[in-house]
Amino acid sequence: MDPSERETYQAAIHGDREAFEMIIRAHSRTLFAIAYGILQNREEAEDVVQDSLVKAWKTRWRVRDPEKFPAWFATIARHKAHDVFRKRRTVPLSEQVTEPIEPEPANTSVLDQQLHSALAALPELHRAALTLRYFEEMDYRTIENSLGLTNGALRGILGRALTSMRKQLRPALAPMD
Amino acid sequence: MATIHDEIDSWLAADLHGELSDSEQSVLHAHLLDCAGCRKTHQEIKTMNKVLEETLAHQKPDPAFEQRMLAGFRRRAPQRAGLVKLLVDLMRLRAVQITAVAAALLGLVQIGRMITGENATSRHERYAEAEVAAPQPPESRPSQADTLGRSGGIAAGRPQDFAIEAPPAATSKFQQEGKVGATTVAPATAAQAKTTESDASAASSESSANAEETGKSSVETPAPELANRKLIRNATVELEIVSFDSAVQKITAFANEEHGYVATTDSEKQANGKLRGQVVVKVLPENLDRFLQKIRSLGELKNQTLGTEDVTKAYFDTDARLKNAHVMEQRLIDMLKTKTGKVSDLLQVEKELGRVREEIEKMQGELKYWDSQAQFATATISLAEKDMEEPAAFLIRERAQLALYAPDVEKTYNEIKSLASPKVQITNAQLNRDYSGRVSAQMSMLIVPEESDGVIGRVKVFGRVENFQTQTQRTAQGGNAGAAGSENARTKRDKVELNVAISREEQEQAFQQTSLRIRTSSVDEKAKELRALAEKQGGRVRSSTFSRDPDGRAVANVSLRVPMKNYLAIMQSLDSLGKVENVSVQRQDRTDAQIDEANAPADVSIQVYSQGNIVTEESGLLATLRRTLAQSAGAIMWSLRMIGVAIAFLAPWAIAIVGVIWIARHVIRARQSKP
Repeated sequence: MDPSERETYQAAIHGDREAFEMIIRAHSRTLFAIAYGILQNREEAEDVVQDSLVKAWKTRWRVRDPEKFPAWFATIARHKAHDVFRKRRTVPLSEQVTEPIEPEPANTSVLDQQLHSALAALPELHRAALTLRYFEEMDYRTIENSLGLTNGALRGILGRALTSMRKQLRPALAPMD
Repeated sequence: MATIHDEIDSWLAADLHGELSDSEQSVLHAHLLDCAGCRKTHQEIKTMNKVLEETLAHQKPDPAFEQRMLAGFRRRAPQRAGLVKLLVDLMRLRAVQITAVAAALLGLVQIGRMITGENATSRHERYAEAEVAAPQPPESRPSQADTLGRSGGIAAGRPQDFAIEAPPAATSKFQQEGKVGATTVAPATAAQAKTTESDASAASSESSANAEETGKSSVETPAPELANRKLIRNATVELEIVSFDSAVQKITAFANEEHGYVATTDSEKQANGKLRGQVVVKVLPENLDRFLQKIRSLGELKNQTLGTEDVTKAYFDTDARLKNAHVMEQRLIDMLKTKTGKVSDLLQVEKELGRVREEIEKMQGELKYWDSQAQFATATISLAEKDMEEPAAFLIRERAQLALYAPDVEKTYNEIKSLASPKVQITNAQLNRDYSGRVSAQMSMLIVPEESDGVIGRVKVFGRVENFQTQTQRTAQGGNAGAAGSENARTKRDKVELNVAISREEQEQAFQQTSLRIRTSSVDEKAKELRALAEKQGGRVRSSTFSRDPDGRAVANVSLRVPMKNYLAIMQSLDSLGKVENVSVQRQDRTDAQIDEANAPADVSIQVYSQGNIVTEESGLLATLRRTLAQSAGAIMWSLRMIGVAIAFLAPWAIAIVGVIWIARHVIRARQSKP
């Protein structure tokens, strides 16, 4: 982590609002990607990000090590998203187990639907890694930082995620070759 | 290249994402050339990558996303005002938190102290210390003259006025004279002056008690400086002498020797001819002690007290005020002499002059009184001749109590009344009749001693004596019966007092009470037989009841009274009536032998009863069933109550445990959101 970044985190922890807003600008997309990875719904994901920001501001003094600030930020978003996900699951239980909620109406092609269901079948961490990579085109290092992963772990995760996706989508993808 | 082949997906992904190093890339490419399967996978991954990029790009947040997030954040987490923010930020620091907790604890401790009143006890201890300091020996007093004053103040609960008045007077005098005796007296004078000036209160009583103590100690250590002090000395002596008159003569002689005089004498003759009296002698104070020594030789000393009152301060105060008043008087006289101003003003001056003069006279009188008191010491001598307590005579007084039972109270009452004669005085006679027609009488009479036995004997014959008591009292006249020489006194017999209480025989308590039950088949008949039996034996039926219940059981209660001589006969004849059960006998043996046992009444209460039907309301199938149901209902209610009690016991614990779990879960959640 470079020193200026570290300083920003430190200032935010000590209640510097400007520093915190700077962090919001830099990280809210990451948070969104994580939340979306879990919820696969944009409105809900946005709400989750919003809640996470407020919560992070209120509990910022809990972070003792500025190095861990991004990972901590991501953890909050993940917990919030899980909360929402759990609440959603309890309402229409039968549908949600195997399928995510209805994909967005703009994209209704067969491939999209299949892609979404394949994504939904992935473990949550894999999904978060995928969204981070494809939304923001982040490099592996940043993604690892955001998700609190160890060095080099992401490569395996992404590999496994892609393998399972590939296997599920093979029939749909075949004609495209 | 087994590794690459096994993990081809991640290698390919990393390649597509541009995350492979140059050397890795060349290794991957080499493998792809070799392996056809991996080449196919490569194609698939590439397609999927494209699809994913395309599809997920749609889901990407729009460019205004950050702005929205920031606006929302600003709305939901508004900036705090300066002071609050500062406080909140401060509270987040560990050091500040610890300080705050410590301060809160300290505050709680302080509040606890205030409530439990720990300060009060510490004040108590200080008070105790002052008390200890007070009764120290006079040698150590000088340094503590002012401590003493303060301790008195604390004890009285009003430190302010005492502390202001007493210590200056005490300390200044002490410094001038520097004598032990004087210093011990000083606080006393201050306190006494205060007592005379202000109304006596709890405080002053406390301090004057202190003053007395110190006053006494000053007498024990007289000092030459006493000469210019105003001390009033008093002594009281109690003596037992042989002859009053010679003692008074000697006292007069002693008083003359000591340049004093006998102020008053008074005497009183007792019933036994002995004299008792009091002599007041005035002598010069310095001679008082010698005078008292001489007095002692007159007889046996019973009691002696010596007291000194120091009026020095009050005296000099009054003296100073008198001087001021004289000056005032002179000024007023001058004003009158110049005779300027209005008549009303002159009148005012005259009036004031009168008042001042009155005051001067009063103060002069006071000073004179003190002078005279201080000039001579007063010795009060109480004299009593020996054997003061010897009695003049003895009186024997006899009192008799007689309780009679008579068949006709009124007749007996009149008969006793007719005994009245000059030698037998009836002092009180009353006949009482209550609502229920019961008659009783009470009489008191005084009989001359020589007739008493005869009269009492005659009264006893009028009825059955229940109780007779006599009591003799010997009283001494004009002295104490136990005193020496009582055997010489005469003895006199007074009239005998006789109290007679007459009541009807019916009310007499039975000498012997017997209760028994007789079981028989025909209750009614047997009860009748019982009555006949009682009459034959000279007894009477006092009460009888008969009852029969629905089950056919009949019970008759008969209560009989027979003379004791016929008791055995009636008991034997009862056997003929049926089976006698539960016999209990209660006999009242009285200690006085006066009772006429053969004629004393014996009560017999007999219950004659029959068994009745065997099956009653309370037995049988239905009743058993009913009882069983009632009992089981009771058991159910009891178990319900027990369940209620158990719930009441457990509910608070359950609530507490749920609360703890809830809190713990929140804590764990909070921990998780913190990396």
